[in-house]
Amino acid sequence: MKKTHILAIIVIALAIGAIMTTVSDSSTYSNFKEAIENPGTEYHVVGQLDKESELMYDPEVDANLFAFNMIDNNGDNHRVHFAGSKPQDFERSEQIVLVGKYENDMFQASTILMKCPSKYNEGQEGEMQEFTAKTASF
Amino acid sequence: MDINYIGEHLWAGQLGQISIIIAFVSAFVAAIGYAFASRNDAAFSDWKLLSRSAFSIHILSVFSIIGTLLYMLYNGMFEYHYVWQHSNSEMPMRYIMSSFWEGQEGSFLLWLFWHAVLGAILLKTSKTWEAPVMSVFAMVQMFLVSMVLGINLGDVIRIGSTPFLLLREHPDFMNLPFLQNAAYLDRLDGRGLNPLLQNYWMTIHPPTLFLGFASTLVPFAFAIAGLWKKKYTEWMKPALPWTYFGVMILGTGILMGGAWAYEALSFGGFWAWDPVENSSLVPWITLVGAAHVMVIQKNRGQSLIMTFVLTTVTFILILYSTFLTRSGILGETSVHAFTDLGMSGQLLIYLLSFTFLTIFLLIINWKDIPKSKDEDSLYSREFWMFIGALVLVISSFQIMFTTSIPVWNKLLGTNLAPPLDPIAHFNSFQIPLAIILSLLIAVTQYFKYKKSDPQQITKALTIPFIISLIGTAAIGYAMHYRNVMYLAMLFTTLFLICANAYYWLKMLKGKLKIAGASVAHIGFGMILLGAFLSTSKTQVISMNTSGTDVESLGSKGDFSNRENILMMKGDTLRMADYFVTYAGKKKEGVNVFYQVDYLTKTDNTYNLEFSLYPRVQTNPRMGNIAEPDTKHFLHKDIYSFVTYAEVETEEAKNKPEEYKKTLTESLAKGDTLITSQAFVILTGFNLEVDRAKSQLLEDDIAVELLLTVIDINGKAQNTSTIFVIRGNKSFGIPANLEDLGLRLVVQKIIPEDGKAEISVYEKPDNYREFIVMQAMIFPWINILWAGCLVMIIGTILAMRRRLKTA
Repeated sequence: MKKTHILAIIVIALAIGAIMTTVSDSSTYSNFKEAIENPGTEYHVVGQLDKESELMYDPEVDANLFAFNMIDNNGDNHRVHFAGSKPQDFERSEQIVLVGKYENDMFQASTILMKCPSKYNEGQEGEMQEFTAKTASF
Repeated sequence: MDINYIGEHLWAGQLGQISIIIAFVSAFVAAIGYAFASRNDAAFSDWKLLSRSAFSIHILSVFSIIGTLLYMLYNGMFEYHYVWQHSNSEMPMRYIMSSFWEGQEGSFLLWLFWHAVLGAILLKTSKTWEAPVMSVFAMVQMFLVSMVLGINLGDVIRIGSTPFLLLREHPDFMNLPFLQNAAYLDRLDGRGLNPLLQNYWMTIHPPTLFLGFASTLVPFAFAIAGLWKKKYTEWMKPALPWTYFGVMILGTGILMGGAWAYEALSFGGFWAWDPVENSSLVPWITLVGAAHVMVIQKNRGQSLIMTFVLTTVTFILILYSTFLTRSGILGETSVHAFTDLGMSGQLLIYLLSFTFLTIFLLIINWKDIPKSKDEDSLYSREFWMFIGALVLVISSFQIMFTTSIPVWNKLLGTNLAPPLDPIAHFNSFQIPLAIILSLLIAVTQYFKYKKSDPQQITKALTIPFIISLIGTAAIGYAMHYRNVMYLAMLFTTLFLICANAYYWLKMLKGKLKIAGASVAHIGFGMILLGAFLSTSKTQVISMNTSGTDVESLGSKGDFSNRENILMMKGDTLRMADYFVTYAGKKKEGVNVFYQVDYLTKTDNTYNLEFSLYPRVQTNPRMGNIAEPDTKHFLHKDIYSFVTYAEVETEEAKNKPEEYKKTLTESLAKGDTLITSQAFVILTGFNLEVDRAKSQLLEDDIAVELLLTVIDINGKAQNTSTIFVIRGNKSFGIPANLEDLGLRLVVQKIIPEDGKAEISVYEKPDNYREFIVMQAMIFPWINILWAGCLVMIIGTILAMRRRLKTA
């Protein structure tokens, strides 16, 4: 076998490895129902803030606990705990993407992505903002 | 009904729009003309003359478009949607360039501008390559101009989005009532540049990045010309310096983006593997690969196919990343993609045209492209350089595959979400690849082309190997590295730096002129090392000292990562080697700055080391945004930002505060009363009350109680409360101490005991201001920035050398 063939095989193997890793690392966009059925598995859940619910953030008690209710795209309403500070302007968000898992009778979010409407009424969408509980590191 | 609008400058928009149309048509003519000119038949020189004039007109009209838009921004012509959307009358003129390229249309113009400049240089320098190369250039320009054409075909199809559209012609505004007023311009001001972008980064980052994008077109155009004219190897000589140029400028642009994110955005680092970042990084990686295989090809005449593939793929990846970031397909996966202008179809056509053109040319030339018959020796430089290029290909493939998840979802109808922890995901692949790559970069220069003596290589590499081994042991011990993967990463990056430095000093005898490759590699190694040290040993110092246990709140989940800390105004908390105090806030424009003092303690006295001013920007477009502040030391950075704070303080202050009675006590002269905020001492009675000052009547009986109030900081102040008997009624005139949120009122006097009864009123939650913040230390991050400079210098050296031999 020629060296080029060996190289080609290695490259293809690594490429397949890359694809497999991506597929296994990626999660799926889902809803509360699926997250509840599979506690401990991480999901992306898309929904909206339940503006009627109580937004609990009391930094004097704990600066790292923020709780609120979200209604997912199926209409299910659940309490969410986020292990970080309350994102600025959270009340105004019109769409939320939660990354997290269902555990101990509540949805525990590790990341919140939210979209706020632009303060100008021109039908333009606001930009996405991301809030993560844990700092990025190796 | 036609309205005669007052004060509009319609000529400006017309001039701009005409320039766009001329730019489009002239690019079209030049593309076709140059294609005919490259046929080398009898009419060749006529075609060439025509196309040259057409391309010159194209360059001038691009400048005219840009000049017109700048003039409109400078003069605040808010009747135009683009000007209205991206500037306003209060904006300082130094941000005029930022507002120029804030929007999609403007950034396309910036791109067109650089292509025009590079095209003008090539027009003069490309000699025999002029016709085919400029034909490709003109074709690319034609597609790009079409993005700003703004022409409607029927009701459905719209080609491009023009920056010269009037506000009243914009579909979102057309029917708004205020635009029915002929004098609407009198009261109209622009929306302004996003405050987040009002900084010098927005002035320097986009032009650098777009020059980088534009410079990938040059090697692409030469490669296509080479395939087209069947000159499979000759095109590389003029293309190589441009490839180095692209590596340098695009690399600088990407790193500038990282530096901007680190300085001004609060995601806690310089790189987040965000889709937008990735999609400019990947073409850089393939361009670096292309530069290396071109060098192999130049010296040994091998890997020709790979050279074509990497050169063309780089430009196509630039188009692909344009598609990703501007078509709206990234949707919610990216924090900073452009908003969708409904041009995804057009962008896709642009991307696919050049992809198919390239594939087509490669296929029809496949048989004729010379391929090397003999196998490379294991002990040859070209073999290991080629392996390095393959590693780069795998690295870019992995990044692009994950970044393209939204595209796979569209194509396959799946519902995949990006990795939950993107940083861990990318690192799991990219760190091992970086280790392999570092080893390759370290040793490959020691190999000779064709064949080299393995014993000589081992001998030459001994010294750098030993130095890096000692370095790894020392740093690994000092910084507590235990993980094998981390130690391997540490060793290989050190080995990369040492081996290249040794090669330069020993083999090249320290000559700088020919050391471009070594210097650039040292810079790259420093970037890897700085990135590795600073991110693997990031120390969050704002954790573990704060607050009550969450368990007590009834939640039992995974809430261990508490990286936010609450700081009351005036409190001092310990963080790493510092004592940290939140000193107060200050509002300037849209920004609220929070002053945080970092102190050290010696012999029970605090010394102020430095203050940081992280801020929250009350951004009218995006809501409130935290921006960090960083203290730079040589060996570390202290980086901090506010994650939560009361921004609307004015409102809170104006709220009518209700005082609540907290206690009532009888005091004799000299007695002390203890409130939650202060000590109150009754120092004496005054019977000679100043009646006029206290607005008392002639017949009133009054006694003044003299009080001294000492607050928790030990500051004393004197005040008094007056007891008044008026007819058969009695009342007390209170002493108000606003700054302490305290009110003292005498209720009655008991003359027989010499005592007075005093009530204390306090504000309910005696409001104390606080912030929630995060602070972290990035060790040795300066190695990364220094590495950027070294890499740039090395690339310039390499480029200069290639220009001389070109």
